[in-house]
Amino acid sequence: MNWKNVSHLIRVDMKSGRLIRGRRLTRYRESRLFPYLLYGGSLVIGLAVGVLVGFIYRGVAAVADPQLMALFHQGLLSLFLSLPTLVLIYSLVFTMMQQIQRSGVKFSIQAPYWLPITWEEHTLASILANLLGFLLVSIIFTGSAIIVLSIFMGQVAYAVLTFFALLASAFMASALTEIFRILQVRFIGAVYKSSGRAAVWVRFVGSILFFLAFYIVYFFLTSGTGVLTFVQTVASAQSTVWFIPFVWLGMTLYSFINGLLVQALIFMTLSLLFVLSLFYTAVILNKRFGLYEPPAITISRGVYAPRTGFLGRLGFSTVEAALIRKDLKAFTRRRELMFIFVVPIVVILVPLLQSMGATAPTGVFLYLFALVFLMPSAIMAVSLGNIVIGEEGGAVWRIYASPISAKSLVKSKYFFVVFFSVLATAVTGTVGAAVFHPSVRAVLSGLIESLLLVFALGAVSLANGIKGADFTELPRPRMIRTAWGFINAIICFLAALAILAPIMAYGLARIIPFVSIKPLIDLYQAIVISAIIAIIIAFVGYKIAVKNARELLTKAEV
Amino acid sequence: MNYAYAVELKGVVKRYSEILAVDNVDLGVKPGEIFGLLGPNGSGKSTTLKMLLGLVQPDVGSVNVLGIDVQKDAVVVKRQVGYVPESPRLYEFLTGIEYLDFIGDIYGVKTEEKRVRINEYLKALELEGREGDMISSYSQGMKQKVALISAFLHRPKLLILDEPLSGLDPRSARIVKDLLQELKAQGVTTLMSTHVLEIAQALCDRIAIMYQGRLLALGTMDELRQRASMPESGLEDIFLKLTGTGDIRAVVEELLK
Repeated sequence: MNWKNVSHLIRVDMKSGRLIRGRRLTRYRESRLFPYLLYGGSLVIGLAVGVLVGFIYRGVAAVADPQLMALFHQGLLSLFLSLPTLVLIYSLVFTMMQQIQRSGVKFSIQAPYWLPITWEEHTLASILANLLGFLLVSIIFTGSAIIVLSIFMGQVAYAVLTFFALLASAFMASALTEIFRILQVRFIGAVYKSSGRAAVWVRFVGSILFFLAFYIVYFFLTSGTGVLTFVQTVASAQSTVWFIPFVWLGMTLYSFINGLLVQALIFMTLSLLFVLSLFYTAVILNKRFGLYEPPAITISRGVYAPRTGFLGRLGFSTVEAALIRKDLKAFTRRRELMFIFVVPIVVILVPLLQSMGATAPTGVFLYLFALVFLMPSAIMAVSLGNIVIGEEGGAVWRIYASPISAKSLVKSKYFFVVFFSVLATAVTGTVGAAVFHPSVRAVLSGLIESLLLVFALGAVSLANGIKGADFTELPRPRMIRTAWGFINAIICFLAALAILAPIMAYGLARIIPFVSIKPLIDLYQAIVISAIIAIIIAFVGYKIAVKNARELLTKAEV
Repeated sequence: MNYAYAVELKGVVKRYSEILAVDNVDLGVKPGEIFGLLGPNGSGKSTTLKMLLGLVQPDVGSVNVLGIDVQKDAVVVKRQVGYVPESPRLYEFLTGIEYLDFIGDIYGVKTEEKRVRINEYLKALELEGREGDMISSYSQGMKQKVALISAFLHRPKLLILDEPLSGLDPRSARIVKDLLQELKAQGVTTLMSTHVLEIAQALCDRIAIMYQGRLLALGTMDELRQRASMPESGLEDIFLKLTGTGDIRAVVEELLK
């Protein structure tokens, strides 16, 4: 193993962040320290948090009941025990999601194939590179915080061991993702090949189900009660499932904390062997199937017969209709774009799961209904509008070189955003109405408000999406510059607040029945005011989108 | 046709921060001409070609294409131009036929004409049988063929081709070359950039050589020979002499040390 090669490959991955549209790349210079600032920052914050909690602990310990403090100690030890498994699942979800978004990466991952780099080096670099960014930041933060806190509590040895277990867990998860990636290349490629024309739908449905499963796990892990339940479950049940290799790291800690040193040593050795076996499995699979060749998916056979479409009858020109049809295909065929369809489903599922079997007051059900009705389509309008230009990627030259005016471009993209978001409204509204049984008035109000949000937020996010479009495709399609993603989120949040403010002035009294406030406004007045605000926002957003599109087509930057 | 030049650049300057990509270029391409734009890497050829479509705005000077100021009405110009960039990125999630259908619609080709022309080109360039496959599985040459068809499909008045024969098999390359000659006879102007000097010499009526953003020489093969004082030489020798990169022998010897 040539460690320099591994280090070079990881650095290439880190440097891929340079390719952001709008950044000047001629005579490019950057600070050597810059890429490490994020990790340094998380270390400093972690240390500070550890010190702060430590002092609070000392203060509390001086006055609190010793039994309570013993319970606190026990709780902390439970956290140490469950952290490796928690980080394992967390890392697995994140690295898998990263992998899904990297479907356009084949060009960059092919480069090492003709360079004098061994599969071991390539695999190790790939596993470690997956951990860079958010995952490593959270591990550094958590590790530094618990180590400092443990100094105050006299449990330094446990904390240090936990920190190493966290690193090993993250590596384990990333190795698993690497194995998954290679198997996916081999077997899913074969499925696509054999499914012929159905391949597109096999891929679409398969990817959505896959996304859905991971998003649900993600939401479970990131919601406060989910984490607590998980910590409690892992801490208590870990020793009963000791034979599962993924809990061996936790078992090492458990044995160590309970003074079972021989057992701790055995589980540590087993954990190491398991990590190594995962790594070498990934290496062997990479050697066997690592070279990626996209499967030739045949979608149509037979005589080509162009059709005049339905869109023409809706008043779209041939150019606009062609752009809309092209985007429809992009969103059902490009895996990295399919997450757009998953978010609304998850947003419905979470409140539905929360309300399941509950006997909540009517006001809360009304709130949940409003959430199910308004949120998915609004999120869809915001996210679609934000990426619908950037998703063109390197092929955007086709738009630049074609006789497409700024108005046509915006019209077709806006229709696409609105169409899918309205579709989401229809689906989520039906589900919401079926589950929560709201009044007809509530359904109609929800429908109108949802449409207002879609039209207004769609226009605003399209304007921002054009301004901040990023056509970089390697190592993953970026679609929108990070800064513009944030700006769009803030502007859309404020716009949504403005549109919903009149309804909130009416509805808060109904949603919170125990607060005896009278509606400040009549429902119909609220809807009219809301509609006026939405129309103004949509109009201004659309105008800005056309202006931004004109600028985009003139500058023609790829 | 109320223009003397299909393409006319006057005093065009384009700068990318400290780099002067195009330096005060004056150029006129006559209607129905096959015009070659040559030059070493980074000499400003691709930037010049992009300016003709309004994809890059000149800092100084004017660009007129088919009698229209590109900066004023780029969409009208684009409608009459077929363009193949140096490394065409296609929509890989579409099939070959879907891509060409999309292009036909974008340029407003009528449905029946689109069907006939697409089928003709697919047959001629031997893409029949693969047109229903996603472009992501195409080879580089197949992608180049799709890019070329999409440039020819709407019967443009001007073709702007950056390395048009790159990756093509000999048969397809020959078809494209013959097609360009036929289109020339029909009055279509072609402006092409290539590093394959034999192709430029065989195909082009006039050739311009760019170096460091400037136009070094412009003329027919005979005029270029006179300019370089190399009456019997081919384009390669003339090019190397004019661009000051003729000391090849010394470079090779240095590399072999």
